[in-house]
Amino acid sequence: MIARDRNWLLIFAVCVALAVVYPFIADGYQLTVIRDALIFGLFAASLDFFWGRTGILCFGHAAFFGIGGYIMALVTLNDAIPFASLLGIIGAVTGAALVAAIIGYFLFFGGIRGSYFTIVTLAMGVICQQAAVSWSSVTGGDSGLIGIPPIEFDVGGLHVDLSQDLPSYIFVSAIVAVAVLALWSISRGRWGTVLTAIQDNEVRAAALGHHAPLRLLVTFVVSAAIAGLAGALYVCMAGLVAPDLSGLLLSTEVIVWVAVGGRGTLLGPVLGAIFIQRAQQTISSFNPSLWPLLLGCVFVVIVFVLPDGILSIYARLKVLFKGRRRAQ
Amino acid sequence: MPPKACLPACANASPVRPDAMDFVVTTLLNALTLISILMLVGLGLAISFGLMNVTNLAHGEFVTVGAFAVYFVQSIGGSFWLGLAAAPIAGAVVGCILEFAIIRHLYSRPVSTVLATWGVSLILQQGLELTFGLGAKPVSPPIEGTLDLFFTVYPAYRLILIAIAALTLLGVVLLISRTSFGLDIRTVIQNREMAEGVGINTRRTYAIAFTFGAAIAGLAGGLVAPLAIVLPQMGVNYLANAFFVVIVGGVGSIGGLVAGSVFVGGLTSVLNYQISPSLAQAIVLLAAIVAVRLRPNGLFNGASR
Repeated sequence: MIARDRNWLLIFAVCVALAVVYPFIADGYQLTVIRDALIFGLFAASLDFFWGRTGILCFGHAAFFGIGGYIMALVTLNDAIPFASLLGIIGAVTGAALVAAIIGYFLFFGGIRGSYFTIVTLAMGVICQQAAVSWSSVTGGDSGLIGIPPIEFDVGGLHVDLSQDLPSYIFVSAIVAVAVLALWSISRGRWGTVLTAIQDNEVRAAALGHHAPLRLLVTFVVSAAIAGLAGALYVCMAGLVAPDLSGLLLSTEVIVWVAVGGRGTLLGPVLGAIFIQRAQQTISSFNPSLWPLLLGCVFVVIVFVLPDGILSIYARLKVLFKGRRRAQ
Repeated sequence: MPPKACLPACANASPVRPDAMDFVVTTLLNALTLISILMLVGLGLAISFGLMNVTNLAHGEFVTVGAFAVYFVQSIGGSFWLGLAAAPIAGAVVGCILEFAIIRHLYSRPVSTVLATWGVSLILQQGLELTFGLGAKPVSPPIEGTLDLFFTVYPAYRLILIAIAALTLLGVVLLISRTSFGLDIRTVIQNREMAEGVGINTRRTYAIAFTFGAAIAGLAGGLVAPLAIVLPQMGVNYLANAFFVVIVGGVGSIGGLVAGSVFVGGLTSVLNYQISPSLAQAIVLLAAIVAVRLRPNGLFNGASR
């Protein structure tokens, strides 16, 4: 096993251990805070799965989060639908994946890459938010939909009811852990290697027999499906869905979580999401309009000071100290 | 987030009752208003995005800054025309600072440019909000009243807007095709190394071209201010539309710019009569995505891929 993989698994194990221990030291409210942060962490990991491996930035990822959220809300709020929670999650994941497949087809097979892709996905996010606002007969318009019930389903004789803090925390952390582990194994394996090859030189990768547009499309769809899942989980935990969930600001924030946590690490974005949200809550409690201003500054600082995220500080320090030792 | 109709309420706030010939001419003029604005905003993007390969997500803020310049001048007692003169200057100053402080350091890192300029855009929006306060800012047009055009009666200010936009575009075409600076720009675009080889200061040329694009976008913001809802967040709608103008039209020619503006602006204006503005916007952007799939090099640049 390569040292890098071992380190990753080590950090992953530490995080899982912390997540297991946390309920013993935290009260109900603190659990729900971390639970919601973990859902956004899953969302960040989904963006990282695409951006980290392909190098193509999606600037409207919240669109998929919002689509998942709205589908989940509509399904669970409809009394006529049986097994609403399970069907809602399935619908949310498929819906987000489907939209990503359609848009991705036009873009990847149309030869759209790089900045062009970023712009088109930015517009996609704007469209989704506008659709959520203007289609008010279905989406509830500006105020959104409220009263979404918590997740509840039976599986193999086991009754799962997530209306309490602790079960919902366990459920969410388990899903996040499994999803991050799964995304990691995909991206370190052959699939990820081919994606890296495409990122480095698409023409050469194509010449070696890899169908670049298809690979990118599938990766994009998987990424969107996970984002849809995160959106579905979030609206059930929060109990409401609003146009903000598909908005440009959330799309922007998720990029910051990934960029701060370290692009391509999958675990870093989850941690980035947790810590930045913590910071956001603290700062917004002073002055709500201060946060976007600070967010803007974070973007500029990341680009110039920490292009590889916070985790890279460790690597840089290591290089620094090694350099010192050699000099002595 | 801004309320719905940030893209100039040009088309839906129709001044006259639609009536056969009336209707056609009014729709045409509404479309022309929107196309003129899109062309001016898109011009700066065509320079930075199309020619310098810089994805500047703060471009929409040049428009906002231009609109706020007009508002500011009016609020301290100046006339609209004075404000309109200040708009491109404000845009140019912001653009120049942005180029100098950030963009020139990131020419070789496209994704970083996207992130940094988006950060600047957030900072500018929030800065404007902190300075001028929440809510829409009123900007009054220089002339009220309408002009009788035989077929229809149309607000005089919009006709002036179209005329100024057309004159500006003509000026830009002349600048690029006739002056020595235009020659420098064309040289740098065709081959940067070669341009440096023959003694053109490419960094300076880029900086001036970028500032120039920002100034034109600022002018567009000033022109649209009396028609639009002037908000710190108004830029993002122009940003998305202007990018589509450049992408659909294809980069590298004034013809492409015009084609893209006609596509996006024309479609928006026509759709705005039938459906709600946000839905119209959504359909236009979707149509643009499909257009890009069918003609990846732009509407104007032939069928070659």
